[in-house]
Amino acid sequence: MDLTKETPKPEEKKKRKLRNDLILIGVLLVVLVLVGLAFWLFRGTGDTVIVEVDGKVFGTYSLSKNQTVEIHTGEGGKELNLLVIKDGRAFVETATCRDGICAAHAPISREGESIVCLPHKVVITVKRSENKVSEENVPDIIT
Amino acid sequence: MKKRILIVLAAGLLLCSSLLLSACKKTPALQKYSDYNFDYFDTVSAITGYAESREVFDEIAKSVFAELEEYHRLYTIYHRYEGLENLRTINELKDGVHRTVTVDRRVIDLLLYAKELYTLTGGKMNVAMGSVLSIWHDYRTEGIDDPANAELPPMERLIAAAEHTDIANLVIDEDACTVTLTDPKMKLDVGAIAKGYAVEMVAQSLEKRGITGYCLNVGGNVRTIGAKPDGKGWTVGLEDPLGGDDYIAYLSLTGQSLVTSGSYQRYYLVDGKAYHHIIDPATLMPAEGFVAVSILTPHSGRGDGLSTALFCMPIEEGISLVESLPDTEAQWVFPDGSKRASSGWANYTVTL
Repeated sequence: MDLTKETPKPEEKKKRKLRNDLILIGVLLVVLVLVGLAFWLFRGTGDTVIVEVDGKVFGTYSLSKNQTVEIHTGEGGKELNLLVIKDGRAFVETATCRDGICAAHAPISREGESIVCLPHKVVITVKRSENKVSEENVPDIIT
Repeated sequence: MKKRILIVLAAGLLLCSSLLLSACKKTPALQKYSDYNFDYFDTVSAITGYAESREVFDEIAKSVFAELEEYHRLYTIYHRYEGLENLRTINELKDGVHRTVTVDRRVIDLLLYAKELYTLTGGKMNVAMGSVLSIWHDYRTEGIDDPANAELPPMERLIAAAEHTDIANLVIDEDACTVTLTDPKMKLDVGAIAKGYAVEMVAQSLEKRGITGYCLNVGGNVRTIGAKPDGKGWTVGLEDPLGGDDYIAYLSLTGQSLVTSGSYQRYYLVDGKAYHHIIDPATLMPAEGFVAVSILTPHSGRGDGLSTALFCMPIEEGISLVESLPDTEAQWVFPDGSKRASSGWANYTVTL
């Protein structure tokens, strides 16, 4: 570590300079790769799941944390949609609604995707977190 | 030497992070907002739009929902409203016959449009099918409520009801603004067209107000109003009707409408088999050729009616109908997941 104390021969000095430059280039390359990796990793997945009931926010949940959310609606909260977040995907496992369309819906994970339970007025949407790199590959409307 | 490395490293990091920051900073002057409503046409109505503030957006969303509500009340066949003549009251019998009902001009316009589409689709889109569709509706509702005892409607009942589906018995007096059903056993069902037609009318009134950069989606009837503020089209991702993870297509729309009819949207199970809601007038059974049909057209009412009609037509017949219409494209998805599209469909598809 103590590089400057000794008085090295000119050739050694040159060698050391070259070595340091190589280290520098190497480190910069690693940083670049890491940044690129971060871009690539966060390109396609949304961050949080927002649950709205009749237009009002019921709760916000991280898509990266496995969890189960009981969405109670209706009189005295007797109606239920059981939201499950597992391995970065969200889906409705069971629901007390009459048609069960929400429970039949495929799991959602990408920004803008949603599951709707019409009888219970529940909308579950994947949202990107605010400080994340803007995603270009997200459709405006999904149908 | 060590210092030099550190300085260059720090500079490099700074450069990288500033690149990252600038990438997220792209904040346009207009913000994107959206709102939902669950009260109309038995489905979800969504509005998305760009506005300078939440207040401005809310104002527009409120007016859109208010107008949709008016159309919903006029076009519903299920609800009665005090002091209002609507599709429901046209269907009602008094002393065994249908009355001549004086209605709002918007009901006349819808029914005239429905007759036009009947002709255009060779009768595959028939609003006079109410007697048949109401039987299916009842069996489906009961089957959903009590899945263990779900049944199919008896074919004799469907055939008997199909005797009363002649659209010529829907008599419209444009000048007097009246509607009469001259067959006492006939009923109207505008489910295949009313939603799309209402969306089109609401979109047109936004256009008349000079509003642009908005998009309506009422239960799969998408209608864009202008482009997005950056001048680009709205990208619509089409979900896989078979439940796969990937979108089956991305389309770019500027002012057009995209309507998708799918067998996966409304159905019930009988002995483990799904029976959906799009009934072929020829067989009186759910049409089986496709799992989804999407129509791109300028007019959302036409798109709505066409998507139902194309669902009940053989593919070749459907393709030649679509090719004969200006600015109209379509995509069919078969039960095995394979797809067919009209010749100009690819002009609107994009990759993200």
